[in-house]
Amino acid sequence: MTRMTIPIGPQHPALKEPLSFLLTVEGEYVIDSSLRLGYVHRGLERLCQERTYVQNVHVLERVCGICSHVHSTAYCQGVEALTELEIPPRALYLRTLLCELERIHSHMLWLGVLAELIGFTTIFMYTWRDREIVLDIMEEFSGGRVAHAVNLVGGVRVDVEQEHARSILTRLDDLAQQVDTFLDMIQHERTFQARTRNVGHLSVEQVHRYCVVGPVARASGVDVDMRRDAPYAAYDQLDFQVITAQQGDVWARTMVRSLETIESLHICRQLLQNLPSGDLTVRAPRRVPAGEVVSRAEAPRGEVIYYIRSDGSDKPARIKIRTPTLTTLITLPDQLRGVNTADVPTVLAGVDLCIACADR
Amino acid sequence: MMDINAVVEALRQLYPNQDIKPRTVPVADTFINLPPDCVHAATALLMDRFDVYHLSTITGQDTDHGIELLYHFWDGRGLTLRTRLPRAERAKGEPGEAPVIATLTDLIPGAAFYEREIWEMLGVDFQGHPNLSLFLLPEDWDDAPPLLAQTPGAAVSEDEADCSSPNDNQNEKLEDQESKQ
Repeated sequence: MTRMTIPIGPQHPALKEPLSFLLTVEGEYVIDSSLRLGYVHRGLERLCQERTYVQNVHVLERVCGICSHVHSTAYCQGVEALTELEIPPRALYLRTLLCELERIHSHMLWLGVLAELIGFTTIFMYTWRDREIVLDIMEEFSGGRVAHAVNLVGGVRVDVEQEHARSILTRLDDLAQQVDTFLDMIQHERTFQARTRNVGHLSVEQVHRYCVVGPVARASGVDVDMRRDAPYAAYDQLDFQVITAQQGDVWARTMVRSLETIESLHICRQLLQNLPSGDLTVRAPRRVPAGEVVSRAEAPRGEVIYYIRSDGSDKPARIKIRTPTLTTLITLPDQLRGVNTADVPTVLAGVDLCIACADR
Repeated sequence: MMDINAVVEALRQLYPNQDIKPRTVPVADTFINLPPDCVHAATALLMDRFDVYHLSTITGQDTDHGIELLYHFWDGRGLTLRTRLPRAERAKGEPGEAPVIATLTDLIPGAAFYEREIWEMLGVDFQGHPNLSLFLLPEDWDDAPPLLAQTPGAAVSEDEADCSSPNDNQNEKLEDQESKQ
């Protein structure tokens, strides 16, 4: 059969972000693929070297348009470790709260995108409608739906009053009911399962070979989660499960992310019900003592790692960011090999790509 | 979780002539300095003897001591292998002159993107890498690697401005900058 090479992207039908793919197909089946990034590369690592530690909180929130808060969290806790600041418990709880709200938002958005790509528009409409609940909560909390600017080096900027916390808890209960409904729908919808089972398979060995992180690794049975393995913020005081599955396909990833959404709602309840009292910030020096730090956090897509080196001035000498999407992008040629072209969008969506993250 | 003391002991046995000193780095990391030609074997040792398979990323940075590479491993806690390469006379496109180190992609295929990024951002040649081609930079990029300290746009110290720069064009730009100052 004749082989054809099809360029897909940078602007393409499956994703809203630019990514360039070169698919080699034989008939209807993909036999090889390669990819190229850089269409939203903004040079953020270099930019950070030109900005002060205070300004960089806001620069680094722009790494990702979905999980902006986890980036500033990883950065701030790195700088706080360098300056040896003791962060008030209330600030750590509020930081963690926004991390989990963001995870709920990201996972619901992802479920909608996947559903739309496989033609299940009803779920897409429902998840994106109900995602508004969590977006509203985040907007009330921080003033922004996506870029929150809640973190400061030394604490957080905004507080949650007792009455507000009660109102959030009520709405989270509504959301929990909806998430249960979605879970029920996808588990009993045969079309959904037919489109996702045995598609985009990754084995445990492949996860190890490619150093994959986050829900994609967990869906292949690799039990990693920085929230439990390297507790940061308030995670050491919380009770939660790390969700794993064994199948390693898009179906397993759907289940892992959906069940994680329920766990995140559970974490949010614990945080709001047990908010410690006290200050929101401690005073942070403008100049950071010379030294280096490696800071890790669990973004909705997996481990985020920041390496920060200070030369003792008010600007970092180097900030290195590794976002989780880079670890899953590299598995795509393996996942796509032998896949029917109609399943290519499902595979792409299955790993939950965030191209702006990967490009920085 | 990996036992850092056991790792250090194993590395000392592997390289008895090297002075291997672990250094604790916040938040939960240990840094170990190694010469460039030891990194590949040390990684193989980590994988074979300690089941460390997760390379979080590789950081490349241009420092006063040359180009530094930091291999951030993770297994319940962090372990970073740090190595230093001499800075390039001409950083890009000329084999033999760029800083050189062996690739890790034969051991850890997941290192491919990280090495490719360091190649284009700092001009380090990873020998044996399957595909060192532009990854994040524009296709028509023909300037010096952008994360090198002497590349225009960086804070250029006077010492560094005197160093030989990646190409002539760049020298002019640097002179322009100096004349403005």
